[in-house]
Amino acid sequence: MTNAHESRPAPRPLAGVKVLDLTWFGAGPIATRSLANLGADVVRVETGKRPDGLRIAGPKPAGNASLNVSGYYNNYNAEKRSITLDLTTERGHELGLALIRWADVFMTNMTSRAVRQVGMSWETVREANPGIVAMYQPMQGMTGPHTEFVGFGAVLSAICGVNAFAGSEGRPPIGVSTNYPDYVVNPMHAVVALLAALRHRRRTGQGQLIDMSQLESSVAALAAPVFAWDNAAVEYRRQGNRVPHAAPHGAYRTSTEGDRPDRWLVLACLTEAHWRAAAGVMGHPGWAHDARFASLARRKEHEDALDALIEEWAADQHGPDAAARLQAAGVPAGLVLNATEILHDEHLQTRAYYAYPEHPEAGVRAYDGPGFRLSATPVELRGPAPLLGEHTTDIATEILGLAPDEVAALIAEGVLA
Amino acid sequence: MPGALDDLRVIDATGPIGHYAGRLLSDLGADVIKVEPLDGDPARLWPPFLPDTPAPEGGLLFLLLNANKRGVRLDLSGERGREAFLRLVATADVLIESWSPEEAGSLRFTDQALRAARPDLIHCSVTGWGLDGPSAGLAYADIVTCAMSGVMQLAGFPDGPPEQLPALQSHACASINAAAGILAAVLHRDATGEGQRVEVSAQEALLMAQETAMQGADINGVDRVRNGGAGVLPVKMPGLGVYEVDDGFVYAMCTGTAGSGFPGLVRLMTDLGFEHGLDREPYATFIRTSMTTAQVTALLQDPAQSGRVRSLLEEIEVVVSAFFRRYPKETLYVQGQERRALIGAVNGPREISESVQLAARGWFRGIDDAGRGRTLRYPGPPWHLHGTPATLRRPAPLLGEHNSEVFRESGLSADAIAALNSGGSPAR
Repeated sequence: MTNAHESRPAPRPLAGVKVLDLTWFGAGPIATRSLANLGADVVRVETGKRPDGLRIAGPKPAGNASLNVSGYYNNYNAEKRSITLDLTTERGHELGLALIRWADVFMTNMTSRAVRQVGMSWETVREANPGIVAMYQPMQGMTGPHTEFVGFGAVLSAICGVNAFAGSEGRPPIGVSTNYPDYVVNPMHAVVALLAALRHRRRTGQGQLIDMSQLESSVAALAAPVFAWDNAAVEYRRQGNRVPHAAPHGAYRTSTEGDRPDRWLVLACLTEAHWRAAAGVMGHPGWAHDARFASLARRKEHEDALDALIEEWAADQHGPDAAARLQAAGVPAGLVLNATEILHDEHLQTRAYYAYPEHPEAGVRAYDGPGFRLSATPVELRGPAPLLGEHTTDIATEILGLAPDEVAALIAEGVLA
Repeated sequence: MPGALDDLRVIDATGPIGHYAGRLLSDLGADVIKVEPLDGDPARLWPPFLPDTPAPEGGLLFLLLNANKRGVRLDLSGERGREAFLRLVATADVLIESWSPEEAGSLRFTDQALRAARPDLIHCSVTGWGLDGPSAGLAYADIVTCAMSGVMQLAGFPDGPPEQLPALQSHACASINAAAGILAAVLHRDATGEGQRVEVSAQEALLMAQETAMQGADINGVDRVRNGGAGVLPVKMPGLGVYEVDDGFVYAMCTGTAGSGFPGLVRLMTDLGFEHGLDREPYATFIRTSMTTAQVTALLQDPAQSGRVRSLLEEIEVVVSAFFRRYPKETLYVQGQERRALIGAVNGPREISESVQLAARGWFRGIDDAGRGRTLRYPGPPWHLHGTPATLRRPAPLLGEHNSEVFRESGLSADAIAALNSGGSPAR
């Protein structure tokens, strides 16, 4: 028996919300992707003349340079629609303003200079649509002496403290080897602000400007060392995998016998109970009574000796087995997983974290799931990323009200391209 | 000006993993009440501390993440504490907690019981692994969720261990996602009157931070490994990566098409008066035509070119390293950026604290913390909402500071409040 009620998709909190998405690379698109997965109609403006760098970058299937098969791009743009529109042409700019008038939300993470080049400053956008919620996300904000500074997440990582805070003393401050702030901190901070502004708009009818400095957003999420310096003159020391509030706390190499190469176990003893239990699992319950290790303060004082003992123990352990025994004793412990292990992880598979929508060119590929779940209005990926300009004709006719022959002419002229 | 959430009350019963979620909501105007165990939140014991102010009031991480909240202490396992808590939940729009499924069970705070107190409650759980699945009951800590989300796999040197993210990022990312999920649920409740459950797993909140590692494994079956920040090319690309400078380090990314690229770096050398020779052949043409990561990648694949390209790159790298070593980081950063060269100073706490950009935007804010007898300097909010600005209204609560005030508001009698306040564990 088919049940019409059961097959009806669940309601979504942003159903009916229209988003004009002039973002690219990571921090912007991930934010608008989250809005799309909450039900918003997200129209991503792109151009063939200067495609999103992530469409060019990989990973792509070997030998396939298509702009439509990048896993990097596709993951961050699931469920959006794509229109190719050259805003630097006069007609293209008019159409861009028509999209601004259509939208409830406008977002860009382009540099201030690029925003000027495409004629989408706040003054222009507000004039076209006074009720819009508009977020600009230049690296250092819309004002101040460094407002024009440019960079990707890796450059920002240096400026905001990731590099100075990560890693060990005596080693160059390489950071965490990614464009870290681009992936969660900046896009999800952006989503918080956009949802708050949408709420204010629903209650009052008023839109607003959101000036989001990626530097401020990143420092806000990493602020503890800055706060400690400002208020207690605490000099930050890079301590690898150690922290001031727990010991032992680190990554320890385990045996590769019966396991993959380069296997590392992590564990964190946040309480005395954790430490007593860990010492027991390691077969040395006496360590917990050793005067050097009898309190957090003592363990921090003798942390090199403590870690040396644990390293020696770990070297003979089967990593997954050791992690399981520590967990069985209530100790926070786990393995440093690689992406393949994560894709096949039983826990994440049970929770259906990854989604596998089918894409016309890229096929069935893994997409990250949402970072939060909602019981009544599930956050879902209902489709793959768009091909470059896949929805140009649809958007031009449905939203912009152009006739099919006008669309064809504008494509030929390079306006809708 | 109004806050976007100034009609909302939030009960924050989280441990450290969720502190920042309530902080974000409070910045947006919500009345956030932190509920702590009788002996205080664990982070109150975490160093470093304010000078002359030990635990439980001087823990800096606690102060940072709990400003703007009022605070009560309550024994949730006792009957009186349980009743007082449910009474509080009845007055709230949102509850955020970080109980493991087992803890929630033993406290008898099932979603059902909480919803009985407040039918349209938005109930958010922030935990290491989420509420179901085979690992839901596992113990968690920041470094463990970092490790199990794949980000440690990418960080570190080949001859050292995988490295954690700094400053408790799995807590931060879980909390930011929780705040976003709560706001989505608020929009749904505003429209329908229906509350719901919001669930965040810190592991899942960080999975997106694997950058391209997941897609590389999925599409090409190749796992990224930690390589000391060496990038993706088999050669050292000049102008890309961390460079030692006269007084520290900078990070440079002058090998793409963004900004002024490598020619911009050469212009910076010239303008600072550094004798570089890169405007002469064979360098000048090579730099003009081939100094992006994509171009070099293509050239290296051509056996006829690869040897020549490698030696050119090595020679250029010698010049670039010598250039960076000669100048202070602020000069390289500011003068480089003025020429649109993608250079960032590797800033520590002091440089961030003294940033002229952050100062010009009035980002840091002072707040009088009377309970701790000083004025504290706080980092600002992650965004500037022009219509509904974020505000810093009160310092972090002293342990149990608002018991009387908050429970009086929720309708408890003076006697009942006195019983709750009478130290120890009131109902045991």
